[in-house]
Amino acid sequence: MGSSRIWDVVVVGAGGAGLTAARRARESGADVLVLNKGLVGRTGATITSGGGISVSGNVLAGLGLDVDPTDTEQDFAEDTIRSGRFISDQSLVQSMVEDVGAELGALMAMGVKPRVSKRAPGHSSGRGVHVTGPDMQKAVTTGATRAGVLFREDFLSAGLLRDAEGAVVGVTGLDRRTGEVAEIDARAVVIATGGTTSNWRLRTAPEELAGEGHAMALEAGAALIESEMLQFLPCCVIAPEIWKGIQFPWTIGPQAGVRAWLLNRYGERFLQRWDPVNIELATRDVVAAGSAAEVAAGRGSPNGGVYLSWAHLPRDIIDNMPLWSKSLSRDGRYQGFDFTPLIERIKAGYAIEVAPAAHFSLGGIHIDVDGDTGVPGLYACGEAAGGVHGSNRLSGNAGAQMLVQGARAGLAAARASRRNGLPAPAVNRAELQERVRAPMEREAGIAPLEVAERLGALTDSALSPVRDGTRIDAAIVEIGDIRRSVLPQLAVRQRDPGYNRDWSTAIECRAAVDVLEAALLGARARGHSLGAHQRTDSLDEAARPAPFHGLVRATGGALVHETRAVAFPVLAP
Amino acid sequence: MTHIRLRLNRDGSEEIARFDLPDDPAESGISGTWEGASVSTALQYLQRKVDPSLAYVLSCRRGLCDLCAVRIDGKVETACTTPLRDGMLIEPTRASLQLRDTVVELSLVRRHRVA
Repeated sequence: MGSSRIWDVVVVGAGGAGLTAARRARESGADVLVLNKGLVGRTGATITSGGGISVSGNVLAGLGLDVDPTDTEQDFAEDTIRSGRFISDQSLVQSMVEDVGAELGALMAMGVKPRVSKRAPGHSSGRGVHVTGPDMQKAVTTGATRAGVLFREDFLSAGLLRDAEGAVVGVTGLDRRTGEVAEIDARAVVIATGGTTSNWRLRTAPEELAGEGHAMALEAGAALIESEMLQFLPCCVIAPEIWKGIQFPWTIGPQAGVRAWLLNRYGERFLQRWDPVNIELATRDVVAAGSAAEVAAGRGSPNGGVYLSWAHLPRDIIDNMPLWSKSLSRDGRYQGFDFTPLIERIKAGYAIEVAPAAHFSLGGIHIDVDGDTGVPGLYACGEAAGGVHGSNRLSGNAGAQMLVQGARAGLAAARASRRNGLPAPAVNRAELQERVRAPMEREAGIAPLEVAERLGALTDSALSPVRDGTRIDAAIVEIGDIRRSVLPQLAVRQRDPGYNRDWSTAIECRAAVDVLEAALLGARARGHSLGAHQRTDSLDEAARPAPFHGLVRATGGALVHETRAVAFPVLAP
Repeated sequence: MTHIRLRLNRDGSEEIARFDLPDDPAESGISGTWEGASVSTALQYLQRKVDPSLAYVLSCRRGLCDLCAVRIDGKVETACTTPLRDGMLIEPTRASLQLRDTVVELSLVRRHRVA
């Protein structure tokens, strides 16, 4: 099963971060193989992203773009740190604001033509540019192939090969097309698998973000940071099923500055209790938490959301919205859908049922500015890596993170591969082979999708935009039960090796249990509301501790949470 | 009762199979009616509850990645953005690209692939 070739750098994941890492590593002379769970250039969250890239005005002006040239990297860093409520890893913030201009410049040299953002919510300046998600994905795919990166597609990575010293020397995974359990030997591995948001039932994220990269890193000895921090986008459609998780109502309501009202089932504008001044135009974390709190308190709509209503506005304002809204002027088309029926419903005076959808993992694998996880040979970047956003993320900062961390991790992995020489033999080949094969070979057991359904109910209950200690504790008990009594019994329902969805779901579920347990441990340890982590039972403000990081590691077969003080080299609270 | 027809292809043998969908989609966690659900949701449901060996692909669920493209009643569409219609025939976009069931080779980096 072992392939004879030893790659200098193996990158897991082919979104913007992974392909930037791959290109940078290849440009610096490394042989690079990218492993991707689906098809390269089609899967992953980069395509679905809004496409913002935050860059300070002075740097953009230097690239020849028409922006406010008085805006500085320091302003950009301070906005980011404040938005994250002072728990960002400030060294990661600093490297992001300093390096993003060079990475954007590299994209522009490859032919990408960014559009300057007129307004950038949450930023003190109209800071940054836009490249649409599909255009960005196309650019990074072309960049990587032109640089000479090679690929293995439909390859579900499931575990890291390690030598006797614990250094990472490769990846074991499932070739989903053939059913081969294959081993890829490498001098350095970069995890760029994106977030963990596919474990939430209502989400903007694509299907594949279960968290295998996080789970592999944890098992190899890396830490996860701020796992409880998850960004939700408010006002996404919840019914009908085909539009579930699409944020169209937000784009023609609060995001466009249109004073649509958010109402609970009593017709109350409940956000007046959360932000009496801005109400529906409050920041998106507040709108998300406020909406979820109404549902949790039993004041929601039949499908588990709240009502977004334009009915109080004169008909002229609604009829004239296409003059101002790009979403509406394109014949009611938004992303791949025709929303004309929804617009007609609004014109007829109906409200739209909406709810916050899981959008972005703020936490993730703990890294330094070079993407180094602290485990020899293991790097991480992009949404898979945590720390830079703290407890909330500004628009465009995911794009900046993706480019800067991708480049730095790719270069660092290439440097490490030159140092590492011939990797030592892996000591856990048999163990990983056996674990990946187990659900396929087990005679009878529990169908993986049953676990996926249980985990979906668990995230709804304990890891929604509003949380409380009772639900978190109950979920920790439940996930412990799933880990002990269900994971060892996972079994596919049919044994064709190729395109066996039960088999890949089993591997994903195993990873999901790790990332969700880490999130729950982080949520339990934060007794106070902070940014995206809102607790209905938030403790007394007088007892709020100084800003701290939450780190989870696998220690002695169990996940353990510890806290660490935040350092403030850039900006103190 | 809502039903769909699927052209299945496994190990070289091919057939058009009829699948009936249950009257109450809510029992499977699907909001509203089948007509308000996408072809992708139906394929997902069928793999989960009816035919575990059914192969399908799905990523973005919003018509951006084109991974889920299939031929629906003769026309190539993204399954995730096409509402379900009773009796619809779902086939691979091109027989020559077929890998399994409705899954076809859509790789953009085929010339840069190992294995």
